[in-house]
Amino acid sequence: MIEIEKTGKPAIPIVSGRFEEDAIASSRAFAMPDLQFVIVPRIYRNLAPELCVSQTEAAIDGIIEALTVNLASGRGERDSAAAIERFEGEDRWDAILKMNEQWLARDWGDSLVLHPPTPEAVSALVKGTGLDRDDLVCDMPPGFGLATVEKIAVNAAMAGAKPEHMPVIIAAVKALSEVGSHGGKSLLMSTSPHAPMLVVNGPIAREIGINPRSALGPGRDNQVNITIGRAFSLCLRNIGYWYPGQMDMDTIGTTRKFVHCVAENEEMSPWQPFHVDQGFGADESAVSVFITDGELDVQDQGNTDAEGLLKTIAYGCEFGTYGMGAAHGAERLIFMPPDVARPVGGEGFSKREAKQFIHYNAKRSLGKMIQYMPIDDARVGRQWQWLKGLTEQERLEVEVPLLESADRWYIVVVGADRAKTLVMPTGEGAATVGVDQYRA
Amino acid sequence: MYLLEALNPVGQQRGLMNSLPISPRPATLDGKTVGLLWSGTHGGDLALNRAGEMISERFANVTTRFYTGGNYPAPPPIVRQAAAECDVVIGATAD
Repeated sequence: MIEIEKTGKPAIPIVSGRFEEDAIASSRAFAMPDLQFVIVPRIYRNLAPELCVSQTEAAIDGIIEALTVNLASGRGERDSAAAIERFEGEDRWDAILKMNEQWLARDWGDSLVLHPPTPEAVSALVKGTGLDRDDLVCDMPPGFGLATVEKIAVNAAMAGAKPEHMPVIIAAVKALSEVGSHGGKSLLMSTSPHAPMLVVNGPIAREIGINPRSALGPGRDNQVNITIGRAFSLCLRNIGYWYPGQMDMDTIGTTRKFVHCVAENEEMSPWQPFHVDQGFGADESAVSVFITDGELDVQDQGNTDAEGLLKTIAYGCEFGTYGMGAAHGAERLIFMPPDVARPVGGEGFSKREAKQFIHYNAKRSLGKMIQYMPIDDARVGRQWQWLKGLTEQERLEVEVPLLESADRWYIVVVGADRAKTLVMPTGEGAATVGVDQYRA
Repeated sequence: MYLLEALNPVGQQRGLMNSLPISPRPATLDGKTVGLLWSGTHGGDLALNRAGEMISERFANVTTRFYTGGNYPAPPPIVRQAAAECDVVIGATAD
């Protein structure tokens, strides 16, 4: 709608139900804060046809007014929050609690206790990078706030990050802005629970203690993983405006939005590290951002040979939902533990060959893949229109590869011993950014 | 007493630094071409078609044109075509 308004033509969206705050946030993010829209009570997608019509009829006066009356929303006014806020308490802890009470009420946190981003704490973090505090790293999606080094440091301070974490956090923020189209904006704003996942490669992972083994759980061993992930997620919230109900529109949500950070277990991998696949040198450090949409534990209960281990993964990957549109972008991120990767590599499979083997064996009934989507849906791509001529039984009997090509599979070696693979649906490709450019 | 100073974590939004006004509205939809831009999601087409019908009933000599790229968001060429061919456009979103 904004693109049409830019041409001088009035354009309004009909906005459903709980998306009013999203429409307001989006109009600000996409540079037309006065964009007019009309609210209807319920989301159309799963609404009976007669209700689609009746709720539109009830909104027609508003639609006509929005197209014919010049209205100003006042939404373009800048927020006037102070650059520095002051909190008085009986003692330091009482003041910190007061800060938390106010900031969590503004939704500036993740509801866990925030460390205070004092001027001293922020300055110390800024010194963890060679950049100046006013340097702009990127416009951070989905709301496109200006990710300056200082703002990144403020959010990192709130997570309890240390100066040596800053190069990784900055690179992760930059990487998100390079994911797919517009930094994965559409995925981040989706009603499905898409969430970033950070993978760190290279010497810095060992230097600062990012755990490459049981890397995703809570506890002492993952303190650095959790802190970096939390710093990134607070940046995403306060710089990227990824606030729930505004630009994060999840239907249910996911714990993966407490963003996770892992290191690849390079020492126990039979293959070159993931960032080398992405064009970096093995002696360089890099952060990769994936946009994940779920996770599944794929258990292998006794295979010892490469083909058995890889077939277990291929069959286990056949879960999740699929797009049948013109741009079928479904992918899978495989966190492969050493107990799978090493036997596979030991039998001579390169990483590329392992991906091809999985791709070849990961097939699924086309009929089952599309059962969640009515076949007359307008989003069914032209290449799939021939399906309309088949019966349901015929569609069930057609087997197709789970993903478009072997390039849609990503393997990162992570984990402790035991052949338990973690598979995540992903989309829009990974973005990898070098860390060393941000070192102090 | 203890005074704690804390730096504001919220970044300035690029969109509010370069914001654009909305277009001037026509006083009436009489004689106008109304674009109905469907994102391809269920029910949105019913909503847009009904809105087009009701506008045609209330105003004289209204032409409606229906657009869809079969996917969301609508592909840029479809959006450009709707902008070029219509006086006003209605879309259905957030679904």
